[in-house]
Amino acid sequence: MGITIRQATINDIQAMQNANLHNLPENYQLKYYMYHILSWPQASFVATTYEDIVESNDTEAGEEFGGEKEDPKGDSAYINRGEKIVGYVLGKMEDDPEAEDKTPHGHITSLSVMRTYRRMGIAEKLMRQSLYAMCESFDAQYVSLHVRKSNRAALHLYRDSLNFEVTSIEKSYYQDGEDAYAMRLTLELDELLPSLAQKGERDDLSKDLLESL
Amino acid sequence: MVAKKGNPIFANKEDGNFREALKLYDAKQYKKALKLVETNLKKNSNHAESLALKGCINHNIGNKSEAESYVLKAIQKAPANYLVNHLAGIYYRSVENYVEASKWLKAANDNGSPNKPILRDLSLMQTQIRDYKNLKDSRQQYLEFQPGYRANWTGVAIAHHLNKDYAAAVSTLTKIEGIIKEHLTDADRYEQSECVLYKVDIIAKSGDIAKALATLEEDSSEIKDRLSFLEYKARFLMLLDKKHEASLIYRQLLQRNPDNMQYYNLLELSLGTVGNSVDLRLKLYEKLDSFYPRSDPPKFLPLTFTPSSHARFEEKVRSYLVPQLKRGIPATFVNVKPLYKNHKKLKVIEKVVLDFYAAELPKIDNPTVFVWTNYFLAQHYLYLNELDTANKYIDDALKHSPTLVELYTIKARIVKHQGKFEEAADIMNAGRELDLQDRFINSKATKYYFRANKVDEAIDCISLFTKLEDGVINGCKDLHVMQVNWVLVESAEAYKRLYHEYEAKLKEFKESSPLESEESKELENELVENIETYKGLALKRYNAVLKIFKIYYNDQYDFHSYCMRRGTPRDYIDTLEWEDRIHSTPIYTRVLKGMAEIYFEIYNEQQVKQSSESPSIEEGKTTKKQNNKKNKKKSQINKKKADFIARVESEKDDEDPLGAKLLSDLTNDDQIIDKLFQLYKPLIEEGKDLRLTHEVLYKTYLIEGKYVLALQSVKSLNKVLGGSSDVKLRSIGERVVELSETAQNDKNANAAIVKVVGKGLVSAFPEFGELSKEDFLNVYSK
Repeated sequence: MGITIRQATINDIQAMQNANLHNLPENYQLKYYMYHILSWPQASFVATTYEDIVESNDTEAGEEFGGEKEDPKGDSAYINRGEKIVGYVLGKMEDDPEAEDKTPHGHITSLSVMRTYRRMGIAEKLMRQSLYAMCESFDAQYVSLHVRKSNRAALHLYRDSLNFEVTSIEKSYYQDGEDAYAMRLTLELDELLPSLAQKGERDDLSKDLLESL
Repeated sequence: MVAKKGNPIFANKEDGNFREALKLYDAKQYKKALKLVETNLKKNSNHAESLALKGCINHNIGNKSEAESYVLKAIQKAPANYLVNHLAGIYYRSVENYVEASKWLKAANDNGSPNKPILRDLSLMQTQIRDYKNLKDSRQQYLEFQPGYRANWTGVAIAHHLNKDYAAAVSTLTKIEGIIKEHLTDADRYEQSECVLYKVDIIAKSGDIAKALATLEEDSSEIKDRLSFLEYKARFLMLLDKKHEASLIYRQLLQRNPDNMQYYNLLELSLGTVGNSVDLRLKLYEKLDSFYPRSDPPKFLPLTFTPSSHARFEEKVRSYLVPQLKRGIPATFVNVKPLYKNHKKLKVIEKVVLDFYAAELPKIDNPTVFVWTNYFLAQHYLYLNELDTANKYIDDALKHSPTLVELYTIKARIVKHQGKFEEAADIMNAGRELDLQDRFINSKATKYYFRANKVDEAIDCISLFTKLEDGVINGCKDLHVMQVNWVLVESAEAYKRLYHEYEAKLKEFKESSPLESEESKELENELVENIETYKGLALKRYNAVLKIFKIYYNDQYDFHSYCMRRGTPRDYIDTLEWEDRIHSTPIYTRVLKGMAEIYFEIYNEQQVKQSSESPSIEEGKTTKKQNNKKNKKKSQINKKKADFIARVESEKDDEDPLGAKLLSDLTNDDQIIDKLFQLYKPLIEEGKDLRLTHEVLYKTYLIEGKYVLALQSVKSLNKVLGGSSDVKLRSIGERVVELSETAQNDKNANAAIVKVVGKGLVSAFPEFGELSKEDFLNVYSK
């Protein structure tokens, strides 16, 4: 699909803010994204397109002049030529000194995928990366998040695909008065390796990859 | 700031009062502080410290315009008084003038202030203005004052790094690691991990990859971020040509993240398969697909490297596409679209989908597959600009599933491509109404309203998802607060199209009705008014984005201290570099592009005005007459105007809600080209790879008669556009001719300069010296 999933960097935050503004009613100023990247650089991930790589891989593409080189599109989703952000997860560790529970735990601030890129499992993949990283780099024992009561797709993702549990219902959590499910997942690093969820053959790294081909 | 007790500088009554005032100032009791300071100044109007403090107090109590004069007076009277220096620093910091602030804080320290925390504040400002040379000293001095905090060591290391003194940075990091080793608690482990990785990264940057790898391995147990550990290790192994070992690391990285396309490419590089036979590569990816069956790259990447002529290409396309069509994945088309740059692949894809449509689809029970296949084909033919065919497919899908939002987005896009912007917006809006909860489709509808120049409808639409404070009629202000740049740019562009429309109408009107009746004058004035309103608003919205980017730039300030304490030096360094390029990011350059067009328009109008005789008198008359007329309807018009302003105001009590002042300042500015140049100045460094940079700079230099710089711009532009001795571009040829002719016809130009430019053009574009103008342009024709 020409979509890649990788850790978010500071270069991505403008386009992450853009994706958030396109998709969700809960928005943040750019500095809040900076705060995430510069406090927990491992915890946030993005899904981006990669048109340029496709071109450079194409051995058939001729040597002929393809026209004057164009500047990257003036679209806030783009971070480079041919690379735009279509989904992101913004993760953090609990850092509220007033928080009751002192065990280290993570929180998902925001997650969204552009509507045109849904149904490909991007949100789940972004989540798995973030959960793994929070557990590994920050010793998160569990991760918590909030979901709009009416958001069935999100509920399905967290509860059915990722095994989160609903811990409580928070009345009027959102600005518009809607209730939220507070959800949580206990983290075990060994079980979180993202490729395990695919149930494919295991690459045990012992064999030369090209040997048997 | 806190003055030290018993400091001998307080020898007399004034100094005592000043000390008291300073305490009050620190406690934010500005009124009381001001009273004391004024008592002092009544007695001794030369008391410099009091003057400086008066400046700071004035700033804090809102007397902003007067504040600086007191500070300046104080500096003049006692330029070497460290208290005055410090207060001047504080004042300039509060107005975000970091250049002056850092100058005066440095002076305070150099003039013997015992207040060491000044050094910390100073280092923040020096970083903000990228004065890395002096930053190193202030970080170092502060470390000597407070060596007990790791953050201060990290700060020094970063300062060395920013000065490219890698050895000093590494030695600083190594030293504190050794000191702290025995004392680390669990809470310090993350910082330790980041600092170790930072050290390894700097060693690699210094070029010693073998040492970087050795250090990485040695410190492995300290590193919690295993992703970085593996990525660093693999990269170092590749650089050291240990490809087999690297390939094993890439395989581990794939286990962590099998959806990162880059790992597959790097794995292939480490395996040496890139130049190898397609068949071998196909087999490799089939193997990888068996490891990661739910990941896309093992399925998709083979489509990129397999030539369309390869026996298995069509089969690979089919096995990639058909399951997606069957599952109803909306992005199926955009997934394969990157392959369309190769027209032969496009044809194969078309064939596969049409075959599926004709042969398999009728046999499939699930009707949604029919819809998604039509949805695919509509996008396919839209891509080919065969709009009728595209329409046919999307209409079939819509007939079948009139409640599927996605279909409306494509239908709207097709109609937009037919040039029917209003109809397109209505279709998108119909899609929006099917799912009012979804902001994505709301954003699309908003965008399409903008494209149809229906700004009010657009703002009303997006206002369903913005914060609405009491007494506010739409989300316009909130869109500014929340930095919704895409909306601001779209509205600027819509306003621009609107005033262009009115300009065209005005031109037409002037040409068609030469009669001067009262009525026609009124109509004309109305058109002129509309032009000015929308032009002002376009400038207003563009400027709003510039303002937001100023905020983006200033946002880094707090992190100059935060990241040292937090222990995230690697991403902090990235942040500095990112801020240094922020003016070349897509939205900002789009804004600059739009602004340049308006600036050049206004410049041309200024030229026309100058060359025509006494038009200003006549214009003055009309407005006067108009004013009389207006008085009668005044209240009615005022009400209308107030309503309009309420809708477009970008902040509460905006002094220039319509951008009228912005516009009149520009039209009356005889240095407008220089103003434009100032806007583009950051791009000379940050945007040197952009055609926009060189196109606009070329034009400004040409207008200002700076021909040598214009020559440089043409050469840079040629490079950016991909021109070379083989590829001779028309857009370059035309500029070469234009520059040469403009320079030669310029009677004010220095003859030596004209000669230099002529020579420069010939040496850069040899045919220009050999051929006639026409022949030259025939050669430069790509």
